[in-house]
Amino acid sequence: MVNYLPISLKNALEIRASEVVTPYGGGTDLMIRADEKAVYLFLNKVPEMKNIEEDSKYIRIGAGCTFTDIIENKLAPAILKEAASQVAAPAIRNFGTVGGNICNGSPKGDSTLIFYVTDSILRLVGSKGERMLPISEFFLGRNKTSLNEDELLVEILMSKSGLNNYYYKKIGARNALAISRVSFAAVLDALDNRITHCRTAFGAINDVVVCRADIDAMLIGKTMEEASRIKDEYLDAYDKAIVPIKGRVSAEYRKTVCMNLLRDFLESNEI
Amino acid sequence: MINFILNGKEAVSNAKANERLLDVLRGEFKLTGVKCGCKEGECGACSVIIDGKLANSCMVAMGSLEGSAVVTIEGYRETDRFHILDKAYASVSAVQCGFCIPGMILASECILSRNPSPTEAEIREGISGNLCRCTGYNAIVDAIDIAAKEGKGLW
Repeated sequence: MVNYLPISLKNALEIRASEVVTPYGGGTDLMIRADEKAVYLFLNKVPEMKNIEEDSKYIRIGAGCTFTDIIENKLAPAILKEAASQVAAPAIRNFGTVGGNICNGSPKGDSTLIFYVTDSILRLVGSKGERMLPISEFFLGRNKTSLNEDELLVEILMSKSGLNNYYYKKIGARNALAISRVSFAAVLDALDNRITHCRTAFGAINDVVVCRADIDAMLIGKTMEEASRIKDEYLDAYDKAIVPIKGRVSAEYRKTVCMNLLRDFLESNEI
Repeated sequence: MINFILNGKEAVSNAKANERLLDVLRGEFKLTGVKCGCKEGECGACSVIIDGKLANSCMVAMGSLEGSAVVTIEGYRETDRFHILDKAYASVSAVQCGFCIPGMILASECILSRNPSPTEAEIREGISGNLCRCTGYNAIVDAIDIAAKEGKGLW
């Protein structure tokens, strides 16, 4: 059997385009259901996917970066570091990658939630070129993504500004090695007491992450006092928008936790 | 054929690229100190060190390892650091059934090699992926703390 362990992105893309392969980041999700017939395209030694760099607008996170790489990196935004540090346990964080976390397609992906709430952009590269896709357009359903057969997720672009004031809570059954039962993240940016940006995202409650820019828009341009006055309206809109499915915990539990976390986020910003 | 370094020596595996490192270590190389607990990355019994990092060998496919260095308890037990940990674990009876211990020792090594003077919280974080169903962890945490003090300069 051939072993596909490319040591350059070019080589990885050539194999991806010419063979039916399963991209392998760190293996920590894939190997749970190890498939004897699987032909893996190992990406753990592709240098172009291991970098964390900044340009004028973005922090660019290589899809092959492990959670440990992110925790130890100076450029990685604090909100991403916090979520990464709560993933599983050290041995999983040493191998699990953000690219794998996203491409696995799960709404429970801890870093996926962060990339949603930060409106991150995925750089997908295929045999015919590359495309920049907002993460919200990448997920088509549970475990379904718009990644084409010849494509690889190479980088995730996170905004350099507006992410400092964040809120993140992961609810699991225990501290370590926990799969999220509900996860919630939010960012809020204000200038002269006026909200300039707000985004919330709910993970692990449905087939895809719930992220509703249209509802969050209610708060944009408001002062904290004005936002407080429309708080009930805002909460009502989410009360309708959040329709969790039953998993290891009931839909009712998930709903209650979501609304509690949303309220706590608002209160922590004096709304 | 996969070429890698196993316990400091060059090794060649005839395994397929998609086989688990855990199965290959136990089956092909007869390194049975690597224990199989869950095959889901949840228990840490199969812990090994790959390129200096703690890993669950059940979650690693052989093909990803070409050129990498793997250390199991069988290799680690030949080191001075192991003897400090061995003595420390014994001194506080941190071992009961022993099934988790090969993984626990390698997790201890990874804590101390990154941070020779860890706090209790850092020790607990470092072994958070290694489950022990006998001891209740306190003795293991004490043992790692003792090893940090007794092994000054080794890490």
